[in-house]
Amino acid sequence: MAITPHTIDQSTLPPELARYHRQMLLPGFGIEGQKKLMSSTALVVGCGALGTVIVNMLARAGVGHIVVVDRDFIEMTNLQRQILFDEQDVKDAIPKAEAAKRKIAQINSQVKVTAIVDDVNHTNIEKLAGIGNDAYGKVDIIVDGVDNFETRYIANDCAVKHGIPYVYGGSVGTVGAAYAILPHTAPLGTGETVWEKAGLATPCLRCIYEQAPPPGVNPTCDTAGVIGPAVSIVSNYQVAEALKILTGNLDRLSRTMLSFDLWENTFRQLKVQKAYDVAECVCCKGRQFEFLDGMFGSSTTTLCGRNAVQITPKAGEKAQMNFDEIATRLRGMGTVTANKFMLRADIVDQGNPYELTVFSDGRAIVRGTKEANVARSVYAKYIGG
Amino acid sequence: MPTVTIPAALRPQVDGLSEITVAGASVGELLLKLKDQYPAFGAKLYKADGALNRFVNVYVNNEDIRFMDDLDTQVTDRDEVAIIPAIAGG
Repeated sequence: MAITPHTIDQSTLPPELARYHRQMLLPGFGIEGQKKLMSSTALVVGCGALGTVIVNMLARAGVGHIVVVDRDFIEMTNLQRQILFDEQDVKDAIPKAEAAKRKIAQINSQVKVTAIVDDVNHTNIEKLAGIGNDAYGKVDIIVDGVDNFETRYIANDCAVKHGIPYVYGGSVGTVGAAYAILPHTAPLGTGETVWEKAGLATPCLRCIYEQAPPPGVNPTCDTAGVIGPAVSIVSNYQVAEALKILTGNLDRLSRTMLSFDLWENTFRQLKVQKAYDVAECVCCKGRQFEFLDGMFGSSTTTLCGRNAVQITPKAGEKAQMNFDEIATRLRGMGTVTANKFMLRADIVDQGNPYELTVFSDGRAIVRGTKEANVARSVYAKYIGG
Repeated sequence: MPTVTIPAALRPQVDGLSEITVAGASVGELLLKLKDQYPAFGAKLYKADGALNRFVNVYVNNEDIRFMDDLDTQVTDRDEVAIIPAIAGG
């Protein structure tokens, strides 16, 4: 039944719907759209500059269940642009995903947030997307708030393989890009998804960018900096596209990729739709999920602008860390602090200072080096291999 | 002459310029001239075999050259050529 949005009378709405009155007035939204949002599950990958805005706006809009995954903890330099966090979070050393969950509980208690403190990689993305997951079913959308292309290709592979809409966003310095993907799950004209049947499927991220920029080619957060408005524009644009998808307004999606530079005052709508026909994409046309299959996966990642390396144990090697034990072992070597999420130790190894942060699943961030080998060595020495 | 827009990521290799006007009839000609003028820029744009790196897309009036005639895409003085790399941050 079609609903004429602008005639919704706020006073007749039940309380759980009344708070959304203003957005329900929009054409194509209505009570029906709102109910779709409230029964939706969104996976937000990464909860930094993009992710905090995405989680915030999705929660305020009333998306029923938000799964937010982030591997990191909050630092003072994040607060300039990561809108869900504050100084107390830094003092308390709260992981980003957990802090986001706490803030959302205050902003919109109708929304369920599942906070997962973990790296997103090829071993866990499908489960995070609700595939073979006892906790929740297949998510309705994946929204990208990550800071590297490897994870984006993993998310893109997962989205294409399982037919989940995926909204890409990226930002550094004063530039940004965003693009909503309704993936092809089968050869043209044969896919069973709503969008394929409607002829609305789009090229995937690998159709457009076949390869990730290798390290050192593009500027990072530390060489180029970043301003809040750039990430905010990208992420809010992503949310707008996500709302269209979740409310069933697929025909309203932008068919172009947004690309802008705030310092040059350029805004472009890049025409990308022919990419599916032209690109012979290995992923959405070829049905080869190279990133999901771990062909390009790495277990160490040099973190953008942080002089730090993250070490992720291989699948099957994850263990619950005993922080008390480790803290006792490390206390003689430097300052050690721990809470239930993580342990942090300042260590001097061979005359060089390192800050070692270990999470409960065995993942660690070694600060003080950009070298994977050095980080592995510090990890092996003080945490164990 | 057509104008080539240089992305922030590659401006250090072209003396900080965000736009460069360069003579040429095709996208390939324009980019080769820029490569000759700014070798460090060329090194980032091209692979060793002379093809463009695949994490960089080139657009003429916001249309990807891969969907036109690729590097042979013809340009006139009124066309805007933009080099746009994949944006990784977030």
